[in-house]
Amino acid sequence: MNAIDGTTSSFHVRSTDAPPPSLLVIVLDTNPYAWSLLADTLPLQNVVANLLVFINAHLAINHANQVAVLASHTHCVQWLYPPPPPPLPTDSTGDVLMTEPDQPDPTPHPPTDDANKYRPFRLVEQQILSNLRSLLTSSPPSSHTTALIAGALTTAMTYISKATLLASPVAAPTHTHTTSSVLPTADAINAPADASTAHDPLSSRILIVSVSGDLAAQYIPVMNTIFAAQRNRVPIDVLKLAGDTVFLQQASDATGGVYIAPGLEVGAGKKEGEDAAVVRAQGILQYLMMGFLPDAAARKWLVLPGAEEVDFRAACFCHRKVVDIGWVCSVCLSIFCEPLPDATCLTCGTYLALPANHNVAPAVVPRKKKKKKRLPDGGTPRPGGSTPAGSTPGGGTPMR
Amino acid sequence: MSASVQALEYLESLPGMVFTRLYQQPSTALAVFRRMLPHSAKTIVMAMLYMTSPIRDADLLCWIRPEAKPEKEQAISILERLHILKVSDLQGARAYRLATNFGQSLQQALTGGGTKASFGVPCGTPGSRTVDVQFLDTFARGRWEAILYYMVGSAGAGLGGDTPIANGTKQLLEEGNFVAMKGGYPVISQEGFTFLLQDVNSQVWRLMIVYLEGTDERHMDHVDVLSFLFTLGSLELGQDYRTQNLTATQRTFLDDLADLGIVYMSEPNRFYPTRLATTLTSDAGALLSSSSFGSNMPSHSPASKGYIIVETNYRLYAYTASVLQIAILNLFSNLSRRFPNLVSGKLTKQSIQRAISYGITAEQIISYLTAHAHPQMQKSKQILPPTVVDQIRLWQIEGDRMSSTNGFIMKDFRDFAEYEDAMKYADALGVLVWKSAAKRCFFVSKLEQMQTYFSNKKQEQRPG
Repeated sequence: MNAIDGTTSSFHVRSTDAPPPSLLVIVLDTNPYAWSLLADTLPLQNVVANLLVFINAHLAINHANQVAVLASHTHCVQWLYPPPPPPLPTDSTGDVLMTEPDQPDPTPHPPTDDANKYRPFRLVEQQILSNLRSLLTSSPPSSHTTALIAGALTTAMTYISKATLLASPVAAPTHTHTTSSVLPTADAINAPADASTAHDPLSSRILIVSVSGDLAAQYIPVMNTIFAAQRNRVPIDVLKLAGDTVFLQQASDATGGVYIAPGLEVGAGKKEGEDAAVVRAQGILQYLMMGFLPDAAARKWLVLPGAEEVDFRAACFCHRKVVDIGWVCSVCLSIFCEPLPDATCLTCGTYLALPANHNVAPAVVPRKKKKKKRLPDGGTPRPGGSTPAGSTPGGGTPMR
Repeated sequence: MSASVQALEYLESLPGMVFTRLYQQPSTALAVFRRMLPHSAKTIVMAMLYMTSPIRDADLLCWIRPEAKPEKEQAISILERLHILKVSDLQGARAYRLATNFGQSLQQALTGGGTKASFGVPCGTPGSRTVDVQFLDTFARGRWEAILYYMVGSAGAGLGGDTPIANGTKQLLEEGNFVAMKGGYPVISQEGFTFLLQDVNSQVWRLMIVYLEGTDERHMDHVDVLSFLFTLGSLELGQDYRTQNLTATQRTFLDDLADLGIVYMSEPNRFYPTRLATTLTSDAGALLSSSSFGSNMPSHSPASKGYIIVETNYRLYAYTASVLQIAILNLFSNLSRRFPNLVSGKLTKQSIQRAISYGITAEQIISYLTAHAHPQMQKSKQILPPTVVDQIRLWQIEGDRMSSTNGFIMKDFRDFAEYEDAMKYADALGVLVWKSAAKRCFFVSKLEQMQTYFSNKKQEQRPG
């Protein structure tokens, strides 16, 4: 035997070498305006049907796998699965009562039972479909034309951290160990930090199925949730069926997720590219199965598609426009698309002295020399990730 | 040996025809997919499930990182052995496709539909008495503990060995060589000790495999039994099901399962699967809550996940009042004190070597301690103190310097490059047991994959 010595073999073998169960939170963009544009080529029903197969496949992989589905609508964010808890009883002043509500009926058994379908799959499907139907029939005509992605992402992140807490071996603050109950959240937050070696109780990820364009109005909250996800090591996967948003690309890039835009691949010719895009978008199930189904454990040994060129542009704080070059407050780093009227930062109120020639295009000539000095190791800066070297004197710094 | 490994080995030993029949049921396809396959294989199957044409080996390699090639080879090998993946030829290149019936059944399991009714037909009408999950748990625990008591009791641990268990069960335990009848009394065997230390899920599988091996003597169709077993795993706890649509074989089987506590039959035509049944096809991770089945605490409370604390000084504390658990701990440790909810003792060289002389391996002791570790211990990265784990292994090695593996020796290679190629391939497959570069030979535990490798090599060489 080459390895007869017990000590040489890895001595901390886990009894279960299986990867941890994974939680998949799907954010489905249900913006009716965007879907109506797609109605001829890729109706919502088809996408939902494909998504349901995908969810079942996710649940089939591991008995302990969990799924949660959120609809990000134009005026609200709605849980499709698991169903939202009933609103807490309030007293006359509108405060939430601090007593436990009566348990209504935890599992209402649907009367129709079909032996041809695995029961957990059927329950999930029924919930999602009925909740989605009620959302679509009850939503009032709204003036918003974009989906509330930021709200949905925030809700998803809170759900994930709650699920992670519940799944950790020392469960819940109600546990009798007083020492550990003092800092349960600190444990949960620190746990992912050394996730590479520790056994995670639960590996979570978010999948955004997006059809709306323009998210610039939600720039700040979206970026904040992206950073939260990055910190908690939650990859954000994006399946972009239509529209084009800068920030979702950044989301998947920053968190190490997968970004696939089947309908929008660059490089195809204009005319025949459109037909091909439709065909590609209709094969969405295969994209889901191959690109998005592998969980964190499987992704370690797969070559996954990523956006080869990520758009790192930001949105300005004053008009929510996506800008290539803007003005950055030197104190709080707020971005503005035009020089401020009274030279006072809108965010922090600092008075910024603008140079006299501020509306002249910034000079970019001395860039080459300075860059070499800054990066002696020969590394290239991420495109647009840092401010360009050519800076103008004064408070306003042009930014790309 | 974990439950899935046992079941996997049993399945592999079946002839290919059996699989064709087995995979006709969506529930079976789903259960095999979920329970028997490693994670990498699941990913590959899911990616191929909705592909219309075979996928080339080269294309598959593009999708997988080069450093993960061994995982891929292992996954493909298992998939082929379970007759899930078929190798075909696509314009002269090696390609894979899913076996048609497996693919169809798995698709059907995911999308629903069809008329196989393989996920159990629930009773529409309420039964004569209400059966809740708690009752089922108590029932299953009672039955299963009775079996374990029967075995431990025979070891003379001072437990009453006269808990009533069915004759069929006793016979089953004898068939599996877990106990031997000596002078009318059951005496536990080496395999019995091994059985005792496994988690509940593995124990159930072990007994089921013994049952399946004996189906011919009982004049039962083992495909019927096996596919019903997989169906059981997909049923809902606390739900009642009809027996009318079952075959005669399956109904006989159901009666035997009721004796074991795997199902509960309230009326002749109505059965409830217990937790033992519904966790048959789930992974180990999902089973943690039920693995401490023997404890007296309700199985869903977090505290029952584990009860053993092992310190670096080999002291062992177990928060339990269960006689069965104490008896099991007593197999490999010196217990010295007992309190109402706690026993304490020590792992010593003597106690471990006594256990080893019973036929219990160090791995089993370690995995038992790991699986039942207290939640406080599970918080750390290495659940058991590494010194203790190493020492248990060393104690075993002291008395046991040889282990045998059945397999095949590969020798007489033409040159070193050929030897090295083949040896590396075997290593990637995970079948390599021993190698000697000086003698240019190596030893493998499985031959089929190597045979295809060599025949492929031959074909490559012929034209060139």
